[in-house]
Amino acid sequence: MPKLILQFEGRVLKEFAVGPMTTIGRLPDNTVVIENPAVSGHHARIVPDGDGLVLEDLESTNGTFVNEKPVVRHTLQHGDAVLVGKHKLLFDESATVEVLPAPERNLKNLGDTVYLDTKKHRALLATLREARARSNGRPALAPAGVLRVVEGRADRAEYRLEANTSLIGSADTALVRLRGWFKPKVAVAIARDRDGYVVTRLGGTTLINSEPLSGRQALTDGDILHVSGLTLEFRSAPSPGEGAETAQPGKAVAAASRIT
Amino acid sequence: MRLRVGAGTDTGRVRSLNEDAFMLRAEQGLFVVCDGIGGSPAGEVASQMAVDAILARLDGPARRCAGAADHEAGYMPHTNRLAEAIRRSNRSIYDEALRDPSRAEMGTTIVGAWIRQHIASIAHVGDSRAYLWHRGRLEPLTSDHALEEGGALLRALGREADVDVELQEVAVQPGDYLLLCSDGLTRLVPDAVLAEAIVELREPQRICDYLIGAANESGGTDNITIVVVEVADAWWRWRWNRRRRKGRPGHHAETDSAV
Repeated sequence: MPKLILQFEGRVLKEFAVGPMTTIGRLPDNTVVIENPAVSGHHARIVPDGDGLVLEDLESTNGTFVNEKPVVRHTLQHGDAVLVGKHKLLFDESATVEVLPAPERNLKNLGDTVYLDTKKHRALLATLREARARSNGRPALAPAGVLRVVEGRADRAEYRLEANTSLIGSADTALVRLRGWFKPKVAVAIARDRDGYVVTRLGGTTLINSEPLSGRQALTDGDILHVSGLTLEFRSAPSPGEGAETAQPGKAVAAASRIT
Repeated sequence: MRLRVGAGTDTGRVRSLNEDAFMLRAEQGLFVVCDGIGGSPAGEVASQMAVDAILARLDGPARRCAGAADHEAGYMPHTNRLAEAIRRSNRSIYDEALRDPSRAEMGTTIVGAWIRQHIASIAHVGDSRAYLWHRGRLEPLTSDHALEEGGALLRALGREADVDVELQEVAVQPGDYLLLCSDGLTRLVPDAVLAEAIVELREPQRICDYLIGAANESGGTDNITIVVVEVADAWWRWRWNRRRRKGRPGHHAETDSAV
C-alpha cells in the first residue's frame, strides 16, 4: 500500500498509509491530521481513480501544492511532494507501510511558533550556559567610572556613573543637574555597557576635549567635557586587579561575539 | 524632538490569521509590537491583551510604580515603568490562560520602546526585535530569547507566572530611526535590506510598506509587523531642512521634550 510521509521543516513527523479514502486537514476526523492554522479543517483528500490515486483540494483557504505548483486535482506519482500549509507530504508508492511512531518530540508545536516548556527549557539551559550569557543573561557592565567636576557650579564634586544611562541636564532625572535659565533639559546622555561608556549629545552645545560633540563618542580616561558652563573630567575605573567588578573571561568572550 | 512614525502589519502569504499586534502612541513616544503564539484564536488574544494591558498601564498620568522590588537598579524611571507594565501584562495573560482552557497555550512575544527625554527604553521578551539606525549603521538592540536552531522561544509572555523582561536604554538623536518588528520580517529579510530600506526611503511609512512587501516576496511564511520611528528635529528645524527633502504623509507627532 502506498504511503504519505509527513514532514515539517525537513523533519519526518509521521507516516500514513493511503487507504481507499484518505483525508488531510486540521480537524481530528481526518486521516492525516495537521494541527496548524495554515491548514484548513478539511484541506484535501486522496481518492482512487482507475489505476491511480488522485489528490483533490477541498477548496482549502491556502491551497494545495504538488511539487510547488497549485493543484485542484492531480494524479499522484511516486515521489510527488504535496505541500499543505508549511507541511510537506511525500507520496511514496513503493513501500509496504509500516507506520512509524511519531518521533519523540521535545518541542511543543503551537501553531508554527514553538515554545519550550519549562522543564525542558531548564534542562536545556543548563547545557547552554554560554548561550545564556549572551542571549538570556544580564550582561556584565564595565566597572563604574566617575565624572569629576573641574570647574563650574554643581551640587557634588564627583558623580559616580553607576546607572545604565546617566544624564546631564536640567531635568530632575539628571544625575548631573544643570541649574539656571536656558539650560537644556537633557544635554548629554552617558551610557554604560559592558565595554565602557559612550556619550551622546542630546541638546545644547557640548565640547569633548575642546571639540564639539555631535554624535556618539566613547569616553576614555581623562576626557574633558564642557557642558553648559560646567567642566567635567571622566575617570574610568581603576585598572583590573584593583577593581572589584572585573568582567569574567567567559563573559568577555560572549560580549565580544555580540558586537557587530 | 519630533517623532515621525510608520507602521504596518500583514498576515503574510501562508497563515490565514494575523496573530501579531502593535500599538503606537506617538505623542507619548510609546511603541509596542507583539507576536502571539498558541494557535488561533488564542495567539491573537494574547498579543492583543499584552498591547491593551500596557496601554492601560502607561497611557495617562504617571502612577506610582509598585514596590521597589520591581525596580531594577541602574535603569531610568520610565524604563522601569515599561518593564513593570510588561510584567503585569504577563500576569494577566497567564491568569486568562489558566481560566479558559481553550486558551491554555496562549502566549506572546513583545518588544516595546518608550522614548522620553531622548532616551529610548527598550524592553523585550521573545524573538521580536528592536534595531536602531544611527549614523549609517543598523544596530540590533535586542537579542532573541530563542534557540538559534529551529527558533523555539525560550521566553514568552503569558506562559509562566513571572517573566524576565530584558531591558536596554539608548540615547536617540535627530536622524536616528528605531525599528520594532516581529520575526515574520527578520526571518525572511536580512538586516542589510532593513538598513538599505531606511537609507533609500527615509519616510517611516514607506519603509514599513516596502519591508512588508519584501517579506512577502521572500515567502511571507509568517505574520509580519513593523513599526518605524524616525527621530526628527523640532518642527522649525525640520521646516528648514525640508527644502532638501520632500515630506510625505505618515503619522506625525511632536513629543513634548518635558515629558
